[in-house]
Amino acid sequence: MNEAIRVEALTKKFGTTTAVDGVSFNVPKGEFFGFLGPNGAGKTTTMRMLATLLRPTSGQAWVNGFEISQNPDGVRRSIGFAMQAVTLDPLATAWENLLLLGVLYGLSRKEAHQRGSELLELMQLTKVADSWIKNYSGGMRRRLDLAAVLMHKPEVLFLDEPTEGLDPAGRRVIWEYLKKLNGSGATIFLTTHYMDEADYLCERISIIDKGKLVVTDSPKRLKEKVGGTLDDVFIHYTGHRIQDEGLNPKAADPYTQMNT
Amino acid sequence: MNKVFRDTYYLFIRGFKQSLRPYIALMPEFAVPIFFFVVNSAGFQRVSDLAEFKNYAGNYLEFYAPVALLMAIFFSTGSAGIEVVTDIANGYMDRLFVSPVHRISIVLGKLLATGARSMIQAAIMLAFVMLIGAPFEAGLLGVPILLALAFIFGMAWSGIGLTLAFLTKNPRIVQSSFVFFIPFSFITTSQLPLPLLSGWYKAAVMINPVTYVLEGMRALMLNGVGPETVGTIAVGFLAAALFGLVTLGAALFAFRRLSA
Repeated sequence: MNEAIRVEALTKKFGTTTAVDGVSFNVPKGEFFGFLGPNGAGKTTTMRMLATLLRPTSGQAWVNGFEISQNPDGVRRSIGFAMQAVTLDPLATAWENLLLLGVLYGLSRKEAHQRGSELLELMQLTKVADSWIKNYSGGMRRRLDLAAVLMHKPEVLFLDEPTEGLDPAGRRVIWEYLKKLNGSGATIFLTTHYMDEADYLCERISIIDKGKLVVTDSPKRLKEKVGGTLDDVFIHYTGHRIQDEGLNPKAADPYTQMNT
Repeated sequence: MNKVFRDTYYLFIRGFKQSLRPYIALMPEFAVPIFFFVVNSAGFQRVSDLAEFKNYAGNYLEFYAPVALLMAIFFSTGSAGIEVVTDIANGYMDRLFVSPVHRISIVLGKLLATGARSMIQAAIMLAFVMLIGAPFEAGLLGVPILLALAFIFGMAWSGIGLTLAFLTKNPRIVQSSFVFFIPFSFITTSQLPLPLLSGWYKAAVMINPVTYVLEGMRALMLNGVGPETVGTIAVGFLAAALFGLVTLGAALFAFRRLSA
Protein backbone atom coordinates (compact mmCIF):
# COMPACT_ATOMS: atom_id res chain seq x y z
CA MET A 1 0.00 0.00 0.00
CA ASN A 2 1.49 3.29 -1.10
CA GLU A 3 -0.94 5.34 0.95
CA ALA A 4 -0.11 6.47 4.44
CA ILE A 5 -3.72 7.56 5.00
CA ARG A 6 -6.82 6.40 3.18
CA VAL A 7 -10.21 7.75 4.19
CA GLU A 8 -13.51 6.50 2.78
CA ALA A 9 -16.83 8.21 3.54
CA LEU A 10 -15.79 8.99 7.11
CA THR A 11 -18.66 10.42 9.15
CA LYS A 12 -18.97 11.56 12.73
CA LYS A 13 -22.18 12.69 14.36
CA PHE A 14 -22.58 14.17 17.83
CA GLY A 15 -26.28 13.86 18.56
CA THR A 16 -28.01 15.69 15.75
CA THR A 17 -24.87 17.57 14.67
CA THR A 18 -22.85 16.07 11.82
CA ALA A 19 -19.28 17.20 12.47
CA VAL A 20 -17.72 15.22 9.61
CA ASP A 21 -19.91 14.29 6.69
CA GLY A 22 -18.75 11.46 4.42
CA VAL A 23 -15.21 12.70 3.91
CA SER A 24 -12.90 10.74 1.55
CA PHE A 25 -9.27 11.42 0.63
CA ASN A 26 -5.87 9.74 0.34
CA VAL A 27 -2.46 10.85 1.51
CA PRO A 28 0.47 9.07 -0.16
CA LYS A 29 3.42 7.98 1.96
CA GLY A 30 5.93 10.77 2.49
CA GLU A 31 3.56 13.58 1.61
CA PHE A 32 3.25 16.82 3.58
CA PHE A 33 -0.52 17.22 3.54
CA GLY A 34 -2.47 20.22 4.79
CA PHE A 35 -6.02 19.90 6.09
CA LEU A 36 -7.50 23.38 6.27
CA GLY A 37 -10.85 24.80 7.18
CA PRO A 38 -12.63 27.39 9.32
CA ASN A 39 -13.14 26.89 13.04
CA GLY A 40 -15.65 24.11 13.61
CA ALA A 41 -15.33 22.74 10.07
CA GLY A 42 -14.44 19.23 11.27
CA LYS A 43 -10.64 19.25 11.05
CA THR A 44 -9.92 18.22 14.61
CA THR A 45 -12.76 15.68 14.66
CA THR A 46 -11.36 14.05 11.52
CA MET A 47 -7.90 14.00 13.01
CA ARG A 48 -9.10 12.54 16.31
CA MET A 49 -10.86 9.76 14.42
CA LEU A 50 -7.73 9.00 12.42
CA ALA A 51 -5.70 8.96 15.64
CA THR A 52 -8.20 6.48 17.22
CA LEU A 53 -9.38 8.93 19.89
CA LEU A 54 -12.90 9.05 18.46
CA ARG A 55 -14.95 6.26 16.92
CA PRO A 56 -16.43 7.13 13.53
CA THR A 57 -20.20 6.97 13.20
CA SER A 58 -19.71 5.41 9.78
CA GLY A 59 -17.10 5.05 7.05
CA GLN A 60 -13.62 3.62 7.17
CA ALA A 61 -10.05 4.83 7.31
CA TRP A 62 -6.62 3.24 7.19
CA VAL A 63 -3.46 4.71 8.63
CA ASN A 64 -0.25 2.95 7.64
CA GLY A 65 -2.41 0.09 6.43
CA PHE A 66 -4.19 -0.35 9.77
CA GLU A 67 -7.94 0.17 9.80
CA ILE A 68 -8.68 2.63 12.60
CA SER A 69 -11.57 0.68 14.16
CA GLN A 70 -10.26 -2.84 13.52
CA ASN A 71 -6.65 -2.32 14.52
CA PRO A 72 -6.33 0.82 16.65
CA ASP A 73 -3.14 -0.44 18.33
CA GLY A 74 -1.43 -0.75 14.95
CA VAL A 75 -2.41 2.84 14.20
CA ARG A 76 -1.23 4.07 17.61
CA ARG A 77 2.19 2.46 17.30
CA SER A 78 2.90 4.14 13.99
CA ILE A 79 1.59 7.67 14.52
CA GLY A 80 2.43 10.75 16.50
CA PHE A 81 -0.33 13.22 17.33
CA ALA A 82 0.36 16.78 18.46
CA MET A 83 -3.05 17.89 19.65
CA GLN A 84 -4.48 21.38 19.59
CA ALA A 85 -3.73 21.89 23.28
CA VAL A 86 -0.43 20.92 24.86
CA THR A 87 -0.97 17.52 26.46
CA LEU A 88 1.87 17.04 28.89
CA ASP A 89 2.08 16.36 32.60
CA PRO A 90 2.51 19.86 34.08
CA LEU A 91 3.85 18.52 37.36
CA ALA A 92 6.66 16.59 35.74
CA THR A 93 9.90 17.75 34.21
CA ALA A 94 10.58 17.74 30.48
CA TRP A 95 12.84 14.73 31.00
CA GLU A 96 10.19 12.81 32.90
CA ASN A 97 7.58 13.54 30.24
CA LEU A 98 9.80 12.45 27.37
CA LEU A 99 11.25 9.36 29.05
CA LEU A 100 7.84 8.05 30.08
CA LEU A 101 6.40 8.44 26.59
CA GLY A 102 9.50 6.87 25.09
CA VAL A 103 9.25 3.72 27.18
CA LEU A 104 5.48 3.49 26.69
CA TYR A 105 6.16 3.41 22.94
CA GLY A 106 8.55 0.51 23.48
CA LEU A 107 11.94 2.24 23.59
CA SER A 108 14.46 1.01 26.15
CA ARG A 109 15.40 3.50 28.86
CA LYS A 110 18.74 4.04 27.13
CA GLU A 111 17.10 4.65 23.76
CA ALA A 112 14.53 6.96 25.33
CA HIS A 113 17.29 8.90 27.07
CA GLN A 114 19.26 9.29 23.86
CA ARG A 115 16.22 10.28 21.80
CA GLY A 116 14.99 12.67 24.48
CA SER A 117 18.37 14.31 24.63
CA GLU A 118 18.40 14.86 20.84
CA LEU A 119 14.92 16.33 20.84
CA LEU A 120 15.52 18.63 23.81
CA GLU A 121 18.60 19.93 22.04
CA LEU A 122 16.65 20.41 18.82
CA MET A 123 13.83 22.25 20.59
CA GLN A 124 16.37 24.30 22.54
CA LEU A 125 15.05 23.09 25.88
CA THR A 126 18.13 21.32 27.26
CA LYS A 127 18.79 24.00 29.88
CA VAL A 128 15.31 23.70 31.37
CA ALA A 129 14.94 19.93 30.98
CA ASP A 130 14.88 19.33 34.73
CA SER A 131 12.27 21.97 35.55
CA TRP A 132 8.59 21.25 36.02
CA ILE A 133 6.87 22.23 32.83
CA LYS A 134 4.12 24.12 34.64
CA ASN A 135 6.80 26.81 34.89
CA TYR A 136 7.40 26.86 31.11
CA SER A 137 6.15 29.60 28.80
CA GLY A 138 3.47 28.71 26.24
CA GLY A 139 6.06 28.49 23.47
CA MET A 140 8.33 26.21 25.49
CA ARG A 141 5.41 23.91 26.28
CA ARG A 142 4.44 23.76 22.62
CA ARG A 143 7.98 22.85 21.56
CA LEU A 144 8.21 20.19 24.24
CA ASP A 145 4.82 18.79 23.21
CA LEU A 146 6.13 18.36 19.69
CA ALA A 147 9.27 16.69 21.04
CA ALA A 148 7.07 14.26 22.99
CA VAL A 149 5.17 13.35 19.84
CA LEU A 150 8.41 12.66 17.98
CA MET A 151 9.98 10.42 20.64
CA HIS A 152 9.19 7.15 18.85
CA LYS A 153 9.97 8.43 15.32
CA PRO A 154 6.41 8.01 14.01
CA GLU A 155 5.86 7.20 10.34
CA VAL A 156 2.78 9.40 10.20
CA LEU A 157 2.57 12.63 12.13
CA PHE A 158 -0.73 14.37 12.86
CA LEU A 159 -0.26 17.99 13.81
CA ASP A 160 -3.26 19.99 14.95
CA GLU A 161 -2.22 23.65 14.77
CA PRO A 162 1.27 22.85 16.04
CA THR A 163 2.67 26.38 15.90
CA GLU A 164 -0.28 28.08 17.57
CA GLY A 165 1.08 30.53 20.13
CA LEU A 166 4.69 30.34 18.99
CA ASP A 167 6.72 33.42 18.15
CA PRO A 168 8.21 33.71 14.63
CA ALA A 169 11.56 32.25 15.71
CA GLY A 170 9.84 29.30 17.39
CA ARG A 171 7.69 28.70 14.32
CA ARG A 172 10.75 28.77 12.10
CA VAL A 173 12.51 26.13 14.25
CA ILE A 174 9.45 23.88 14.00
CA TRP A 175 9.01 24.46 10.25
CA GLU A 176 12.59 23.58 9.45
CA TYR A 177 12.44 20.46 11.58
CA LEU A 178 9.17 19.34 10.00
CA LYS A 179 10.63 19.86 6.53
CA LYS A 180 13.62 17.76 7.51
CA LEU A 181 11.42 15.07 9.02
CA ASN A 182 9.26 14.97 5.91
CA GLY A 183 12.42 14.81 3.78
CA SER A 184 13.45 11.69 5.68
CA GLY A 185 10.21 9.95 4.66
CA ALA A 186 7.65 10.79 7.36
CA THR A 187 4.12 11.56 6.23
CA ILE A 188 2.78 14.72 7.83
CA PHE A 189 -0.89 15.61 8.19
CA LEU A 190 -1.18 19.21 9.28
CA THR A 191 -4.03 21.50 10.25
CA THR A 192 -3.31 25.16 10.67
CA HIS A 193 -4.96 28.56 10.48
CA TYR A 194 -1.71 30.12 9.24
CA MET A 195 -1.95 30.13 5.45
CA ASP A 196 1.73 31.08 5.09
CA GLU A 197 2.55 27.93 7.06
CA ALA A 198 0.42 25.74 4.81
CA ASP A 199 1.84 27.42 1.72
CA TYR A 200 5.43 26.94 2.87
CA LEU A 201 5.13 23.37 4.12
CA CYS A 202 2.39 21.49 2.28
CA GLU A 203 2.62 19.69 -1.06
CA ARG A 204 -1.16 19.35 -1.22
CA ILE A 205 -3.99 20.74 0.81
CA SER A 206 -7.62 19.84 1.34
CA ILE A 207 -10.16 22.37 2.50
CA ILE A 208 -13.03 21.13 4.64
CA ASP A 209 -16.10 23.23 5.34
CA LYS A 210 -19.18 22.30 7.42
CA GLY A 211 -17.93 18.72 7.62
CA LYS A 212 -17.56 18.27 3.84
CA LEU A 213 -14.41 18.28 1.76
CA VAL A 214 -14.64 21.09 -0.80
CA VAL A 215 -11.34 20.99 -2.67
CA THR A 216 -7.98 19.19 -2.77
CA ASP A 217 -4.94 20.33 -4.76
CA SER A 218 -1.46 21.78 -4.46
CA PRO A 219 -1.23 25.30 -2.98
CA LYS A 220 0.35 26.48 -6.24
CA ARG A 221 -2.48 25.24 -8.46
CA LEU A 222 -5.16 26.50 -6.09
CA LYS A 223 -3.61 29.96 -6.04
CA GLU A 224 -3.47 29.95 -9.84
CA LYS A 225 -7.07 28.80 -10.05
CA VAL A 226 -8.42 31.47 -7.70
CA GLY A 227 -5.87 34.13 -8.56
CA GLY A 228 -4.42 35.37 -5.28
CA THR A 229 -2.80 34.20 -2.08
CA LEU A 230 -3.68 31.09 -0.13
CA ASP A 231 -5.74 33.35 2.14
CA ASP A 232 -7.81 34.25 -0.92
CA VAL A 233 -8.16 30.57 -1.79
CA PHE A 234 -9.35 29.80 1.71
CA ILE A 235 -11.96 32.58 1.67
CA HIS A 236 -13.01 31.68 -1.86
CA TYR A 237 -13.89 28.12 -0.87
CA THR A 238 -15.25 28.69 2.62
CA GLY A 239 -17.03 32.03 2.29
CA HIS A 240 -16.35 35.37 3.96
CA ARG A 241 -18.49 35.09 7.06
CA ILE A 242 -17.47 33.58 10.34
CA GLN A 243 -18.87 30.07 10.37
CA ASP A 244 -21.31 28.82 12.95
CA GLU A 245 -19.15 26.67 15.13
CA GLY A 246 -20.46 23.52 16.75
CA LEU A 247 -20.53 23.26 20.52
CA ASN A 248 -18.27 20.83 22.29
CA PRO A 249 -20.56 18.86 24.60
CA LYS A 250 -17.54 17.21 26.23
CA ALA A 251 -15.66 20.38 27.12
CA ALA A 252 -14.00 20.35 30.52
CA ASP A 253 -15.33 22.39 33.42
CA PRO A 254 -13.63 25.82 33.30
CA TYR A 255 -12.75 25.30 36.96
CA THR A 256 -10.17 22.81 35.75
CA GLN A 257 -7.99 25.67 34.62
CA MET A 258 -7.46 26.60 38.23
CA ASN A 259 -5.93 23.24 38.95
CA THR A 260 -3.45 23.09 36.10
CA MET B 1 1.55 -9.67 29.19
CA ASN B 2 5.11 -8.46 29.51
CA LYS B 3 4.09 -5.14 27.99
CA VAL B 4 1.25 -4.78 30.48
CA PHE B 5 3.71 -5.22 33.39
CA ARG B 6 6.20 -2.84 31.82
CA ASP B 7 3.61 -0.15 31.09
CA THR B 8 2.08 -0.60 34.55
CA TYR B 9 5.48 -0.23 36.20
CA TYR B 10 6.29 3.03 34.41
CA LEU B 11 2.81 4.44 34.97
CA PHE B 12 3.07 3.44 38.63
CA ILE B 13 6.29 5.47 38.94
CA ARG B 14 4.64 8.41 37.21
CA GLY B 15 1.50 8.11 39.33
CA PHE B 16 3.50 7.94 42.53
CA LYS B 17 5.48 11.07 41.70
CA GLN B 18 2.27 12.82 40.61
CA SER B 19 0.61 11.99 43.92
CA LEU B 20 3.39 13.73 45.83
CA ARG B 21 3.36 16.92 43.76
CA PRO B 22 3.19 19.75 44.55
CA TYR B 23 4.93 18.83 47.80
CA ILE B 24 3.22 21.63 49.73
CA ALA B 25 -0.13 19.88 49.13
CA LEU B 26 1.02 17.01 51.37
CA MET B 27 0.86 19.18 54.48
CA PRO B 28 -2.93 19.12 55.02
CA GLU B 29 -2.95 15.36 54.47
CA PHE B 30 -0.85 14.99 57.63
CA ALA B 31 -2.13 18.04 59.46
CA VAL B 32 -5.80 16.99 59.55
CA PRO B 33 -5.29 13.50 61.03
CA ILE B 34 -2.80 14.90 63.52
CA PHE B 35 -5.27 17.60 64.51
CA PHE B 36 -8.07 15.09 65.12
CA PHE B 37 -5.70 12.78 66.96
CA VAL B 38 -4.38 15.45 69.30
CA VAL B 39 -7.76 17.12 69.92
CA ASN B 40 -9.84 13.97 70.34
CA SER B 41 -7.37 12.08 72.49
CA ALA B 42 -7.25 15.08 74.83
CA GLY B 43 -10.97 15.93 74.67
CA PHE B 44 -12.36 12.44 75.20
CA GLN B 45 -9.84 11.23 77.77
CA ARG B 46 -12.52 10.77 80.46
CA VAL B 47 -14.18 8.13 78.28
CA SER B 48 -11.43 5.76 79.33
CA ASP B 49 -12.91 5.83 82.87
CA LEU B 50 -15.93 3.87 81.63
CA ALA B 51 -15.81 0.26 82.71
CA GLU B 52 -16.73 -1.07 79.23
CA PHE B 53 -13.94 0.94 77.69
CA LYS B 54 -11.21 -0.60 79.81
CA ASN B 55 -11.42 -3.87 77.86
CA TYR B 56 -10.28 -2.03 74.76
CA ALA B 57 -7.48 0.34 75.67
CA GLY B 58 -5.64 1.85 78.59
CA ASN B 59 -6.52 5.36 77.57
CA TYR B 60 -8.30 7.25 74.81
CA LEU B 61 -5.09 8.17 73.01
CA GLU B 62 -4.31 4.50 72.47
CA PHE B 63 -7.86 3.83 71.35
CA TYR B 64 -7.88 6.73 68.90
CA ALA B 65 -4.37 6.19 67.41
CA PRO B 66 -5.55 3.75 64.69
CA VAL B 67 -8.11 6.36 63.58
CA ALA B 68 -5.24 8.74 62.84
CA LEU B 69 -3.75 6.08 60.54
CA LEU B 70 -7.06 5.50 58.84
CA MET B 71 -7.54 9.24 58.33
CA ALA B 72 -4.07 9.55 56.83
CA ILE B 73 -5.10 6.90 54.30
CA PHE B 74 -8.40 8.65 53.56
CA PHE B 75 -6.61 11.91 52.93
CA SER B 76 -3.72 10.48 50.92
CA THR B 77 -5.94 8.51 48.56
CA GLY B 78 -8.68 11.09 48.23
CA SER B 79 -6.55 13.03 45.75
CA ALA B 80 -6.31 10.12 43.30
CA GLY B 81 -9.56 11.15 41.62
CA ILE B 82 -8.42 14.77 41.38
CA GLU B 83 -5.17 13.69 39.75
CA VAL B 84 -7.04 11.62 37.18
CA VAL B 85 -9.60 14.29 36.39
CA THR B 86 -6.75 16.77 35.92
CA ASP B 87 -5.14 14.35 33.46
CA ILE B 88 -8.43 14.13 31.58
CA ALA B 89 -9.04 17.87 31.55
CA ASN B 90 -5.54 18.90 30.47
CA GLY B 91 -5.43 16.27 27.72
CA TYR B 92 -2.77 14.04 29.25
CA MET B 93 -5.21 11.12 29.30
CA ASP B 94 -5.66 11.58 25.54
CA ARG B 95 -1.87 11.53 25.20
CA LEU B 96 -1.93 8.11 26.89
CA PHE B 97 -4.94 6.91 24.88
CA VAL B 98 -3.25 7.76 21.60
CA SER B 99 -0.16 5.78 22.62
CA PRO B 100 0.01 1.97 22.38
CA VAL B 101 -0.07 1.66 26.17
CA HIS B 102 -2.32 -1.13 27.41
CA ARG B 103 -5.50 0.50 28.75
CA ILE B 104 -5.53 -1.58 31.93
CA SER B 105 -2.01 -0.35 32.76
CA ILE B 106 -3.33 3.21 33.04
CA VAL B 107 -5.69 2.18 35.85
CA LEU B 108 -3.36 -0.36 37.47
CA GLY B 109 -0.44 2.08 37.53
CA LYS B 110 -2.62 4.66 39.24
CA LEU B 111 -4.00 2.18 41.76
CA LEU B 112 -0.62 0.78 42.71
CA ALA B 113 0.72 4.31 43.14
CA THR B 114 -2.24 5.14 45.37
CA GLY B 115 -1.72 1.97 47.42
CA ALA B 116 1.98 2.67 47.81
CA ARG B 117 1.28 6.20 48.92
CA SER B 118 -1.23 4.91 51.49
CA MET B 119 1.39 2.60 52.94
CA ILE B 120 3.93 5.38 53.26
CA GLN B 121 1.42 7.79 54.75
CA ALA B 122 0.27 5.13 57.23
CA ALA B 123 3.88 4.33 58.17
CA ILE B 124 4.66 8.00 58.83
CA MET B 125 1.50 8.40 60.89
CA LEU B 126 2.29 5.20 62.82
CA ALA B 127 5.72 6.58 63.71
CA PHE B 128 4.09 9.83 64.82
CA VAL B 129 1.43 8.28 67.07
CA MET B 130 3.99 5.94 68.60
CA LEU B 131 6.16 8.93 69.36
CA ILE B 132 3.23 10.50 71.21
CA GLY B 133 2.71 7.34 73.23
CA ALA B 134 0.53 4.93 71.24
CA PRO B 135 1.51 1.26 71.44
CA PHE B 136 2.11 -1.12 68.55
CA GLU B 137 1.76 -4.55 70.08
CA ALA B 138 2.16 -6.42 66.79
CA GLY B 139 5.86 -5.53 66.78
CA LEU B 140 8.11 -5.44 63.74
CA LEU B 141 6.44 -8.42 62.09
CA GLY B 142 3.10 -6.69 62.41
CA VAL B 143 4.26 -3.63 60.46
CA PRO B 144 4.05 -5.27 57.00
CA ILE B 145 0.60 -6.63 57.93
CA LEU B 146 -0.62 -3.15 58.86
CA LEU B 147 0.90 -1.65 55.74
CA ALA B 148 -0.66 -4.34 53.55
CA LEU B 149 -4.05 -3.45 55.03
CA ALA B 150 -3.33 0.24 54.34
CA PHE B 151 -2.33 -0.66 50.77
CA ILE B 152 -5.56 -2.56 50.04
CA PHE B 153 -7.84 -0.10 51.76
CA GLY B 154 -6.07 2.87 50.14
CA MET B 155 -6.74 1.45 46.68
CA ALA B 156 -10.29 0.56 47.61
CA TRP B 157 -11.07 4.05 48.90
CA SER B 158 -9.54 5.71 45.82
CA GLY B 159 -12.09 3.83 43.70
CA ILE B 160 -14.80 6.34 44.66
CA GLY B 161 -12.85 9.35 43.36
CA LEU B 162 -11.66 7.44 40.29
CA THR B 163 -15.19 6.39 39.38
CA LEU B 164 -16.44 9.96 39.60
CA ALA B 165 -13.43 11.22 37.64
CA PHE B 166 -13.96 8.76 34.79
CA LEU B 167 -17.73 9.26 34.75
CA THR B 168 -18.02 13.03 35.09
CA LYS B 169 -14.60 14.40 34.06
CA ASN B 170 -15.51 17.27 36.36
CA PRO B 171 -13.01 18.39 39.02
CA ARG B 172 -15.65 19.97 41.23
CA ILE B 173 -17.70 16.82 41.41
CA VAL B 174 -14.61 14.73 42.10
CA GLN B 175 -13.51 17.13 44.80
CA SER B 176 -16.93 16.94 46.39
CA SER B 177 -16.53 13.16 46.73
CA PHE B 178 -14.73 14.16 49.92
CA VAL B 179 -18.18 14.10 51.56
CA PHE B 180 -18.10 10.29 51.47
CA PHE B 181 -15.28 10.49 53.97
CA ILE B 182 -17.60 11.83 56.65
CA PRO B 183 -20.07 8.92 57.00
CA PHE B 184 -17.53 6.25 56.19
CA SER B 185 -15.04 7.47 58.78
CA PHE B 186 -17.35 8.76 61.53
CA ILE B 187 -20.03 6.07 61.49
CA THR B 188 -17.52 3.54 62.72
CA THR B 189 -15.98 2.61 66.02
CA SER B 190 -13.66 5.57 65.65
CA GLN B 191 -15.09 7.41 68.67
CA LEU B 192 -16.27 4.59 70.92
CA PRO B 193 -16.05 0.77 71.08
CA LEU B 194 -19.01 -1.15 69.67
CA PRO B 195 -20.54 -2.17 73.09
CA LEU B 196 -20.87 1.50 73.99
CA LEU B 197 -22.90 2.27 70.87
CA SER B 198 -26.62 1.76 70.50
CA GLY B 199 -29.68 2.00 68.25
CA TRP B 200 -29.56 2.82 64.56
CA TYR B 201 -26.09 4.26 64.93
CA LYS B 202 -24.73 0.93 66.11
CA ALA B 203 -26.50 -0.85 63.24
CA ALA B 204 -25.00 1.59 60.74
CA VAL B 205 -21.56 1.14 62.25
CA MET B 206 -21.89 -2.61 61.89
CA ILE B 207 -22.68 -2.46 58.19
CA ASN B 208 -19.92 0.02 57.42
CA PRO B 209 -16.95 -1.93 56.00
CA VAL B 210 -14.56 0.73 57.25
CA THR B 211 -15.45 -0.30 60.83
CA TYR B 212 -13.83 -3.69 60.23
CA VAL B 213 -10.76 -2.18 58.59
CA LEU B 214 -10.36 0.09 61.59
CA GLU B 215 -10.87 -2.77 64.04
CA GLY B 216 -8.21 -4.78 62.17
CA MET B 217 -5.76 -1.92 62.57
CA ARG B 218 -6.75 -1.43 66.18
CA ALA B 219 -6.22 -5.12 66.92
CA LEU B 220 -2.72 -4.95 65.44
CA MET B 221 -1.84 -1.83 67.40
CA LEU B 222 -3.40 -2.60 70.77
CA ASN B 223 -3.33 -6.40 70.99
CA GLY B 224 -0.79 -7.64 68.46
CA VAL B 225 -1.06 -10.76 66.31
CA GLY B 226 -2.37 -13.77 68.21
CA PRO B 227 -5.17 -16.33 68.33
CA GLU B 228 -7.60 -13.75 69.77
CA THR B 229 -6.91 -11.11 67.15
CA VAL B 230 -6.23 -13.07 63.98
CA GLY B 231 -9.93 -13.25 63.17
CA THR B 232 -10.43 -9.50 63.58
CA ILE B 233 -7.40 -8.79 61.41
CA ALA B 234 -8.55 -11.23 58.72
CA VAL B 235 -12.02 -9.66 58.70
CA GLY B 236 -10.34 -6.25 58.29
CA PHE B 237 -8.57 -7.50 55.17
CA LEU B 238 -11.76 -9.10 53.87
CA ALA B 239 -13.77 -5.89 54.42
CA ALA B 240 -11.11 -3.81 52.62
CA ALA B 241 -11.05 -6.29 49.73
CA LEU B 242 -14.84 -6.43 49.38
CA PHE B 243 -15.09 -2.66 49.57
CA GLY B 244 -12.44 -2.48 46.86
CA LEU B 245 -14.29 -5.01 44.74
CA VAL B 246 -17.27 -2.65 44.62
CA THR B 247 -15.44 0.68 44.24
CA LEU B 248 -12.78 -0.53 41.82
CA GLY B 249 -15.33 -2.50 39.83
CA ALA B 250 -17.24 0.73 39.37
CA ALA B 251 -14.03 2.59 38.48
CA LEU B 252 -13.10 0.01 35.85
CA PHE B 253 -16.59 0.12 34.37
CA ALA B 254 -16.42 3.92 34.15
CA PHE B 255 -12.92 3.78 32.68
CA ARG B 256 -14.03 1.39 29.95
CA ARG B 257 -16.72 3.88 28.94
CA LEU B 258 -14.17 6.68 28.85
CA SER B 259 -11.56 4.79 26.84
CA ALA B 260 -13.93 3.05 24.43
